[in-house]
Amino acid sequence: MSRPVPFSKSRYFPAVLGFGSLAAFVLAVELLVQVDVINRFLIPPPSEVIAAIPRVIMQEHVLSRFMLTAGEALVASVLVTIFGVAGGVLLYQFRLLRLATETWVAAIAAAPLVLMYPLYLVIFGRNATTIVMMGFTAGLAPIILKTLEGLAGTRRVLINVGRSFNLTRSQQFWKILFPAALPTIFVGMRLGLIFALINIVGVEYLINFGGLGQLINELAERFDLPGTYAAICFVILVSIIVFMLTERLERWLRPAS
Amino acid sequence: MSVIAMPSGRDAAPAARSVEPILTVDSIVKQFETPDGVVAAVDNVSLAVKPGEFFSVIGPSGCGKSTLFNIIGGLLDGYDGAVRVGGELVHGPHASIGMIFQEESTFPWRSVIDNVAFPLEIAGLPKTERYDRARHFVSLVGLDGFERRFPAELSGGMRQRVSMARTLAAQPKILLMDEPFAALDEQTRLLLGDKVLQIQQELKQTTLLITHNITEAVQLSDRIMVMTYRPGKVKRIVDIDLPRPRSSEIVSSEAFGRYVAQIWSDLREEATRGMHDDETRRGGAPR
Amino acid sequence: MAETGKLSPAVLRQGWVRVHPVTALRLAIIITVLVAWEALAQSGLLYRDVVPSLAKIAASLFALLTVPDMPFRLDWSWLGIATDIKIPQLYWHLYATFYEIVLGMLFGGLSGLAVGIAIGGSKLLQRAYEPFLYYLGPCPKIIFFPIMIMWFSVGPGSKVAMGAVSCFFPVALSVAGGMREIDKVLIRVGRSFRANTWQMVTKIYMPAMRHPIINGMRLGLGVCLIGVLLAETKLSNRGVGHLVIDAYTRFDMPLMYALLIVLFVISIGANALIGRFGGLDTIRRT
Repeated sequence: MSRPVPFSKSRYFPAVLGFGSLAAFVLAVELLVQVDVINRFLIPPPSEVIAAIPRVIMQEHVLSRFMLTAGEALVASVLVTIFGVAGGVLLYQFRLLRLATETWVAAIAAAPLVLMYPLYLVIFGRNATTIVMMGFTAGLAPIILKTLEGLAGTRRVLINVGRSFNLTRSQQFWKILFPAALPTIFVGMRLGLIFALINIVGVEYLINFGGLGQLINELAERFDLPGTYAAICFVILVSIIVFMLTERLERWLRPAS
Repeated sequence: MSVIAMPSGRDAAPAARSVEPILTVDSIVKQFETPDGVVAAVDNVSLAVKPGEFFSVIGPSGCGKSTLFNIIGGLLDGYDGAVRVGGELVHGPHASIGMIFQEESTFPWRSVIDNVAFPLEIAGLPKTERYDRARHFVSLVGLDGFERRFPAELSGGMRQRVSMARTLAAQPKILLMDEPFAALDEQTRLLLGDKVLQIQQELKQTTLLITHNITEAVQLSDRIMVMTYRPGKVKRIVDIDLPRPRSSEIVSSEAFGRYVAQIWSDLREEATRGMHDDETRRGGAPR
Repeated sequence: MAETGKLSPAVLRQGWVRVHPVTALRLAIIITVLVAWEALAQSGLLYRDVVPSLAKIAASLFALLTVPDMPFRLDWSWLGIATDIKIPQLYWHLYATFYEIVLGMLFGGLSGLAVGIAIGGSKLLQRAYEPFLYYLGPCPKIIFFPIMIMWFSVGPGSKVAMGAVSCFFPVALSVAGGMREIDKVLIRVGRSFRANTWQMVTKIYMPAMRHPIINGMRLGLGVCLIGVLLAETKLSNRGVGHLVIDAYTRFDMPLMYALLIVLFVISIGANALIGRFGGLDTIRRT
């Protein structure tokens, strides 16, 4: 005999609490702005922000901007996957090279590479190439490291199975090591994509060129407050969706995990 | 130099039957909500422990002994009945009860001496007094020289000794232990059992031990309570009339063997019931 | 390239330079890169100074580090010193950036710690709010900068805010995760000894989480650094980021390279230091 479970213990309560408190917060802000406790030139009333969304979408060609940013991200991802995985495989195959350079790669992964964007502006000019290169640079090191980690972390017993069948080095690599490392490589690719995307949108904002990042910059420079807030919310939404999609993709590609 | 102030009540002769019990557990009933309905883990369990006595609770897996342990220790509530220490009602961890857990519980980031000094730190004792006391208990459990080592450098048996010293350092009137040797191998278990006996006899420490190990229970206890399988009730309370002081050699005596056999026959009934219950639940037919 | 496993002693003894092969390879790589760079610089293939010669970069670096080109008032009157001196402007800007980063870490790190503990400690709060942190984490924080400028003005305030917002997320997420990973028995030990809330937090939760906390802070420092520097490049008149963009606008490429070198050396060094600090802990105590 089980009693009906009170709502506070149901599985939807946490989600309701989370979104509910967010909605309550937005409402509170709306109220405070309307009664002038909060300066509406610092924080526009949420109602205006929401009203600005359709205007921004229509007038600012949000769709084409989105496609531009997405295109840059895609190109950067492809480049970074090719070079990153290849780099990781190279380092794995040549032990001396790995011993010599692995710490360097790790150090680069930790450095604020995005600060090089003025350099890229000079080298490539103020265009999409700079943005793509910036995304590429930022996402490269994580993929190399993750590929290396995946290959090096193959369970000893799997390698022994291969040796017991007398596989050649090439077969050993392509039939055992690489497939075993794929899950970790996918994690690396996802990390690389995320790093690249963050840097791409960021640099778009900074150099005032490109898609979504540039939109925010432009609206801010026009002092269109509700528009700026609306655009930022939109970018947040896009980033969340991309993140969720890559999560699903990763889980689909590695069901065992 | 005695660093410990012995609270009164401990000096009472442990064998005197007319002494007031220091720990009373009255008709504890604890129920849990499970997908299969309401299940009683502990059903009307009562016991009384006299000062200086070593009291064991033994039972098959699933008889609610750990639930009882958590209730007495004040870590679990929502039960019917009462737990009293020295007449005072317990609701929450009580200053007079010290708990030793089954799992690995030393703080890995503190050295041995810092682990043992922990309860004294919580109580606000000044530094020198804290460390003097802690050193005494580190020595008591036989870990002299290991004060500055960290748990990661010690064996499992040594880590359990650190946990023991830590709880003893708080000088609880009642020591509550939940299968403290479960994770250790047989030899370490026997040796630590010896240690526990030695300490208990030296400190005249009132102890309540929860265990599933019959040999251990008979070796260490003055009285043993056998619990039934779920819902856990009191099946029998056995007086262990073996002479004190005891040591691990007692396991080879005849009287010892008889007690073990007696308790095993009680326990076997309950353990079998437990096994059948498990099988039916998992879809097999009871044999 | 041949793969090298163990090098036989014979090979090591034969060379007239007794050097570990790893070091040799590293030197070889560095030298090759430098030679290729200089070749590119001298070739005239690229527009002047896009790849400046190594000499120019070195000179710029040297000047950056040593030439006093900025008047500075040293006012330690309590020590009896009050003079006008000149210092290399780099250090003044470094200090400005450092100050912004430290404050950003303070605000972001402490609030991240508090939120992480609160969320990690309660299952309800965790399920209600952790998704927000998790999904907002990978969002580029620099897009919030226009708002930060409006709220905190164009001075250091907006940069500190940028740094704080950036580092809040990795710290909060790391701490929340750490709270969940704490061995439950350790919490029971604390409760059995009747520790009060403050004692539980300082003597049990935080020490038990020292690895997630340090790792979270490390990640947080990385993104705080980026947030502050990028904000400086966008809108500031002080700080290393400002110097970089200033060099860009004046097309002083050797200076830009010199600045980037200084920046990377400092940030990589700081990261290594924290790693060392966290690592020692690991070796000693598990």
